[in-house]
Amino acid sequence: MQHLHDLTIKRFHQGLLNKEFSALEITQNFFKWIETRDAEVHSYLSTHADQALRQAEAVDLQIARDEVVGELAGVPCAIKDNILIEGLPTTAASKMLEQYTAAYDATVIQKLKAEGAVLLGKTNMDEFAMGSSTENSAFKKTKNPHDLTRVPGGSSGGSAAAVAAHLAVAALGSDTGGSIRQPASFCGVVGLKPTYGAVSRFGVIAMASSLDQIGPITKTVEDSAILFRAIAGQDNLDATSAAVEYGPELITPKLETIRQLTVGIPEEYFVKELDPEIAAHIEKVIHDLESLGIKTKRISLPHTKYALSCYYIVMPAEVSSNLERLEGIRYSPVTGVQRDAHSLADLYRQNRSQGFGDEVKRRIILGTFVLSSGYYDAYYGHAQKVRALIKQDFDQAFKDVDVIITPVAPTRAFKIGEKIDDPLAMYLSDIFTIPVNLAGVPAVSIPVRGVTGLPIGFQLIGRHWREADILGIGQFYEKLHI
Amino acid sequence: MSELINKKSLEHLATLARIDLGAHEETKMLKDVEAILEHFQELRNVPTEGIAPMTGGTSLTNQVREDVNVTKDTGKGPEAFPDVSGGYLKVPPVF
Repeated sequence: MQHLHDLTIKRFHQGLLNKEFSALEITQNFFKWIETRDAEVHSYLSTHADQALRQAEAVDLQIARDEVVGELAGVPCAIKDNILIEGLPTTAASKMLEQYTAAYDATVIQKLKAEGAVLLGKTNMDEFAMGSSTENSAFKKTKNPHDLTRVPGGSSGGSAAAVAAHLAVAALGSDTGGSIRQPASFCGVVGLKPTYGAVSRFGVIAMASSLDQIGPITKTVEDSAILFRAIAGQDNLDATSAAVEYGPELITPKLETIRQLTVGIPEEYFVKELDPEIAAHIEKVIHDLESLGIKTKRISLPHTKYALSCYYIVMPAEVSSNLERLEGIRYSPVTGVQRDAHSLADLYRQNRSQGFGDEVKRRIILGTFVLSSGYYDAYYGHAQKVRALIKQDFDQAFKDVDVIITPVAPTRAFKIGEKIDDPLAMYLSDIFTIPVNLAGVPAVSIPVRGVTGLPIGFQLIGRHWREADILGIGQFYEKLHI
Repeated sequence: MSELINKKSLEHLATLARIDLGAHEETKMLKDVEAILEHFQELRNVPTEGIAPMTGGTSLTNQVREDVNVTKDTGKGPEAFPDVSGGYLKVPPVF
């Protein structure tokens, strides 16, 4: 029998076509493994065996009939619980949506279903994707599969832990300030934040609309490329999605092309906050890339230090607007709140006070503050200009280099409970991922090979729409270490 | 450094955001928000004269559809409504 640990999207597809196993068998085995292992890791908020087994059977039928199937056919996937799958609960890990059942499929889910992917369940996350450790979930705490006393990172901690613990072959997450890349780094898997506009957000519960992107979390870089290609594309239902064609180089890069690239090393990312061990490992990765024939160059992104403050003004402003719709009436009642309030405003207040967790309330209050009369120009207006400067840094750097390499997070996975009472300390775990979202460029987190102990990730940042460059370098880096 | 936020202004923000903060919650929120706003002050030193604000996630313009009414039905959304009357969501009195 096929060992679940060995399954990548690529390997699964080969095995399925060679009839080494059926999609149904593998799916059943995943549910058995989830029953055992997820009792410790807690990566899923809900699993949906009935629907998943039907999806697997449909793929097996296609194989039996010798029909041509795509690379995602039958692949057992986990989906972050802020992405809508019709007929299934979608809570965004919030009491505010505890009883909500999605009324339609997100565009990315429609695409995965059309490819025949098997959707095992919905994964845990920080409430409404606000957090860096998945500890802000209203329902459970996900553990890092490499050390159960540590966090998996966040906010897509459930998706990253599920892939790392072999509870799914691949997963979808969402990334607003690092929520795919930082948990991927903590859990030792690959996570891609696509270019802003590359993937439709229709059907993802919006957090900060000028920053949110959906992306893959997988075991290999090649798998991320396969899953990304499947979900990318313009969609009339997301006005920010763009018509961009990705060529074959996205999945099958050529070494002679990759060797033409220059990788920039920005001095502002190798600062005192960075764990020296991580810095040393990133240096090794840089040597590995040089051994492939890739040129490297020291560069500067001078406004990097302002990115955190800029982000924590822009993001809460958008959060406070996007979450205004959640009043505990239209989508789901809030447990414990009686509906016999005296007035509509009273009911809103009761639902929102009891339905939202601390971090969500903090960001709504911050967002309301920076948008309020008298403070708007000093905070929100000014932050938008600083954001333009941060994007200009990248534009300028990309005149000289094709890709930028940085660490993903300043530390390895931290202990559960270590930062939960200190919001600023928690926010600092995203200092290296946030500038990417502000600039709208793509970036991938890839595990550094040959690390002992807890995983470390490195980040490759590319030009707008140049996922092929960062994934291409990533694929050749992985091949160095097979 | 002048005061960035106080109990009174926090309570006003909470009212605007339709959130009630308990006494303990309010103390913690005030401390946290104060520390965060303090951190933001570093941005004051960034010169931004002549810089156009970045108002979205991309410099591309949004794609828009033709301005025609395409709403056919409300889909399955209303199935989640707790109380419906004549096809409308029923809520407590507004006033």
